Amino acid sequence: MDHGLRHDVGARVINVSYPLNKILTALAKAHVTRDRLSDAELAGHDLGEAEKTALLTGDIRRLYDLGANPYLIRRVFRPRFPI
Amino acid sequence: MAEIVAAALASHAPLITGKPEIARPEQRERLYAGFHEMRRRLAAARPDLLVMFVNDHLQNFPYSNLPAFCIGVVDAYDAPSPGGSKLMRIPPRKLRGAPRWSMALLEAGLAAGFDFAYSYEIDSWDELAVPLLPTLSRCHEVGAFVGRFARSHAGASRVAFVATGGISHWVGTPETGRINPEWDHWVIDHIERGDVEPLLRLTWEQIERDGGNGGQEIRNWVALMGAVPGAKGEALAYEPVPEWITGCGTMWVHA
Repeated sequence: MDHGLRHDVGARVINVSYPLNKILTALAKAHVTRDRLSDAELAGHDLGEAEKTALLTGDIRRLYDLGANPYLIRRVFRPRFPI
Repeated sequence: MAEIVAAALASHAPLITGKPEIARPEQRERLYAGFHEMRRRLAAARPDLLVMFVNDHLQNFPYSNLPAFCIGVVDAYDAPSPGGSKLMRIPPRKLRGAPRWSMALLEAGLAAGFDFAYSYEIDSWDELAVPLLPTLSRCHEVGAFVGRFARSHAGASRVAFVATGGISHWVGTPETGRINPEWDHWVIDHIERGDVEPLLRLTWEQIERDGGNGGQEIRNWVALMGAVPGAKGEALAYEPVPEWITGCGTMWVHA
């Protein structure tokens, strides 16, 4: 089925970063909202360099590409979203 | 034995109640009218049991354990919890559960080959959504089983089904805020005709493309349609509300 709406969007079936979602879930449950995270907030989490950089810079597009759950991205980095 | 006295579908965007003032008044009022009509019909149907098809939003299940299907066997549900209450501006409250009925559903499901998880604690408030992976066809099968069970079990006499979620919305993705009314109407039209087969063939990729990550929640609607085979829907309201970043719909299903 094709609704002919957006042919250029390739969806990913499973692209999940467990480390990213683990830290974002913890922050979301604590009702943390940030423009970017701090080194202190990343301490103790098993994150790759790209994941750390994305979190420290609040790069919501990069977080999405790295496999963070988009709802968690929005929950934690709400100030980054214009709406 | 029980009678299915009502079935309804609705979007569940938290901003519908959390920030009503940001929506255009005419859209808000049309959508609210749909919800009010749904409430009127549900109350008039006088159910003694309400069965909800909903998806978790990561408040119950973390990424270390994500069940495909879970039955709540809870004495009292937070609906919403204190955290959700702030977001949705709905007072925190407890809703009485039906743990004996739920446990009977669980046991019957396991015996019939539906490998349900179960939980004695369910926190219901809406902001986060887990990736929903079961196929729509499987969701429909699960709903059909729940429908058969509800009709045959003696633990309730007047059962209502309600499913929430959808319709199209992109949340937290690079396309956040996008709504696809064309797809929403496609979904609504098929439910109005009771023609769910095309919905069952939708893949994760197709929904992600046309309905967004929030559109994946139509699995809940499909499960409900499975519980009332042959039923046709009636759209009570539909509004693509950009301020609430959701294609919002309410539908009555003539069970």
